[in-house]
Amino acid sequence: MQTIPIPHVDPLPLPGPVWLFTALLLVVFTLHVVAMNSALGGGIWTLWNYLRGRHSEHPYSRRLANELSQMLPTLLAFTVTLGVAALLFVQVLFGNFLYTSSILIGALWLAVIPLVMAAYYGFYYFSYTAEQGKGTAGCVLAISVCVLLSIAFIFVNNMTLMLSPSRWLEMYRAHPNGWNLNLGDHSVIPRYLHIVNGAIALFSAILAHLGMRKMKVDAEYGRWLVQRAALVFAACTGLQFLLGMWLLLAIPREIAMVLLRDPLAGAVFGLAFVSVIAAMLLILLGSLAEKPSPLVHFGFGMSLVTLFLMVCLRYLLRLAYLKPYLNLGTLAVRPQVSVIALFLILFVGGLATVGYMLLLVARSKKPQVHVASMH
Amino acid sequence: MNYPHWQLPVPGGMLIALVAVLHVFVSHFAVGGGFFLVTTESMARRQNDASLLDYCKRHSKFFALLTLVFGAISGVGIWFTIGLVSPEATSSLIHAFVWAWAIEWVFFFVEIAAAIIYAKTWDSLPARDHMIVGWIYFVAAWMSLFVINGILTFMLTPGRWIETQNFWDGIFNPTFWPSVVARTAVSAILAGIFGYITLPKQDAREKVARWAATWMIVGALVLPISLSWYFSKIPLFSQLYMNGVLTGVRHAVRGGVAFTLLAVAIAVVCGMWKPRWMRPPVVALLVVCGLGMIGAGEYLREFLRKPWVINKVIYANDVRAAEVETLQAKGVRQSANFLLTDDTASAEYGKNLFELQCGSCHAAGGYRGMNRRVDGWDAAFAADILQHIHMLRGTMPPYAGDEQDRKALGQYLASLNPPWQFNITAANRLEVGGKVFGARCGHCHTVNGNFRPLRGTFEKATPSQVQEIFPALGAMSSNMPEFNAPEDQAQALAFYISHEANLPLAQKPAPAEMPTGTNHSRLLPQTDLRQEVR
Repeated sequence: MQTIPIPHVDPLPLPGPVWLFTALLLVVFTLHVVAMNSALGGGIWTLWNYLRGRHSEHPYSRRLANELSQMLPTLLAFTVTLGVAALLFVQVLFGNFLYTSSILIGALWLAVIPLVMAAYYGFYYFSYTAEQGKGTAGCVLAISVCVLLSIAFIFVNNMTLMLSPSRWLEMYRAHPNGWNLNLGDHSVIPRYLHIVNGAIALFSAILAHLGMRKMKVDAEYGRWLVQRAALVFAACTGLQFLLGMWLLLAIPREIAMVLLRDPLAGAVFGLAFVSVIAAMLLILLGSLAEKPSPLVHFGFGMSLVTLFLMVCLRYLLRLAYLKPYLNLGTLAVRPQVSVIALFLILFVGGLATVGYMLLLVARSKKPQVHVASMH
Repeated sequence: MNYPHWQLPVPGGMLIALVAVLHVFVSHFAVGGGFFLVTTESMARRQNDASLLDYCKRHSKFFALLTLVFGAISGVGIWFTIGLVSPEATSSLIHAFVWAWAIEWVFFFVEIAAAIIYAKTWDSLPARDHMIVGWIYFVAAWMSLFVINGILTFMLTPGRWIETQNFWDGIFNPTFWPSVVARTAVSAILAGIFGYITLPKQDAREKVARWAATWMIVGALVLPISLSWYFSKIPLFSQLYMNGVLTGVRHAVRGGVAFTLLAVAIAVVCGMWKPRWMRPPVVALLVVCGLGMIGAGEYLREFLRKPWVINKVIYANDVRAAEVETLQAKGVRQSANFLLTDDTASAEYGKNLFELQCGSCHAAGGYRGMNRRVDGWDAAFAADILQHIHMLRGTMPPYAGDEQDRKALGQYLASLNPPWQFNITAANRLEVGGKVFGARCGHCHTVNGNFRPLRGTFEKATPSQVQEIFPALGAMSSNMPEFNAPEDQAQALAFYISHEANLPLAQKPAPAEMPTGTNHSRLLPQTDLRQEVR
């Protein structure tokens, strides 16, 4: 039997404690997923409403598509920006796994770059032309959405492949030119569907939240938006349970057992379960109210909590997969204390600067407020 | 050896170069262009010039579309590409400088937010606030250049980091400051060049044209000063590459200077003097000049670092200097995780070694193709010369494998061309001798040139006296391969050397000292080959 090849860990020590990298990774990755769900889920929502709104009997759909069109490029910008940070920290802890799986699907992995550019320019094109309501704009948006869906698929392939060193050598020998996919892993399809469906669900929760704010300006339009968003959110969340179960069954049994027996993972899983049901009930109940209801805001908050818990669970699942090959606790560490301190100071300063700019925008009290304050 | 090698139709380094040049072109514009925008806006508002302000608005839209999308995503593209082509080096850079990248990311985040707000709020923000956002953009963008510059310069001049492994020693390395100045100058030039893309047709045309030309000229004045400062700080081996021995370096220097001078000439003539001449074809030419300037600069920066990707730490083929001795002792098959075959006696193994060890810079054919370089080599000669490979011109890393690996790779290299067969006559003896010299000696020597010349050894020697030395070559120096060419080729070679070494010379050439490229080879002590031959 072939031995399983694992590239050795970098000879340089980790420049900071594992817990810090883990915390930063979980936080920035959660933020990245919020932005990504908004760009992908938002793209799907916009496309549907744009196509629907081309008929005169659906003016709200048209209005919503126009409003969302202005947000899409910015949402994608922050998806990428926050994704870069996640990519940075994941390399520190799991670089030897991630580089290998990336090389194995190298051709597709590198294709992500031109694909993101294409989707991004497509979003910009749509944002400039959406108001005219033409078919070309719809086509461009549809292409952008499909491109984003394909990028998500490539990411799922890489993120699952990095967890499966036993598949690497055979795959490399089959196609050393990087034209591989990890479809032999049965968890890829349910995981992909889980993520795409989750993106639609989360953006629906965001829309319900935004719709509440719209109700204060235009009650009827706001209510229309909240009710639709709540329904889609509930439907997608229901579907998410099924997809989640499929995913859990598709994960190798021994790894699923590691996860289920781990008290921390069990607690996270349980909490996520409770919070998502709470989010669903709160948003549904809130959407039935005649007046703007704080329940929707709470529900939206709970959906974010759920997302964070799912990100943590995903991390614990990764550790379970890599347990035979990696023990983060044994990695050599030599913290670069002064630089870490500088980073934290600049990080706070950077957030304050962005906050200050948003304040300037808010003070000018123009429609751009909503676009910018999304982030 | 640690990671699988991604097989590409072109050398992996080419892919990095392509992505990097395009990214550097746009990202330096992102820095200079931000400064250009906010100062132009400030000027327009001060002078109450509505048409100039209108230009700023249009330019900021173009600026955002180019830098936010192409600039930012191609930057991520470099991440992806280096991880795929040089995972070992990427991993080490991450371990050494993840916090620098994290800090750079903070600036990048602020930069993106500011760029979006700046481009969107021309009509809604008060003038003062809008300019504040513009200034925030520029400071964040320049700071991200400042931080990344530390990592980029580290790769050529790690300085004291090699001993201390201290973060600050690595970032503020010997070429940090000159490179910051040079990159800032380049940013100013590109701000001027790109400023013409949205040049107004009517009002403000002359003002913008002269203003953009000023940026280019100022940048072009600072650039040579900062570059000469930079070149005075680069390592000795890099400085030697600059002395003209390597054609690639020569072309890059000439190209870079030519593109920059042409751009400045256009700025003076069509920007300053006759702004109405700044037509779209001229602007297109300027953009080409800018791209050429960046391409030459990046090529030079990469080439001067050969054979390293991180000087003294990791070679260009992603092999760690510290691992070379082990690989030479135990062989690649003991260390490589992802070989395509377990049969180390097969021809496939040799091909696999080539891809794994040479593929980041070379392909079998095409650009930097090995077929041209090894034409005339037989398997034994190739296997032998591999252990002296770092002696060639200093640009190659030492061969990291044992004798069995060298034989397998030598076999593969020899298979790239049909073996040489000559019908040597008195008429073609000199020409054949020249070809044999090129294949067997010319990679390390010239006869009368200034690179390890042989004239001193063979002057006044007859062809038969020259040929008498051939069997002893392998024993003469540990850096010389055994001579094993067929008898007819040996005769032609001896004839050629004797002929060339006895040609009358106008003046005595000044021999060049060349670096050996490594100080980690177990097999090969560092010696001056030229002196030994003499």
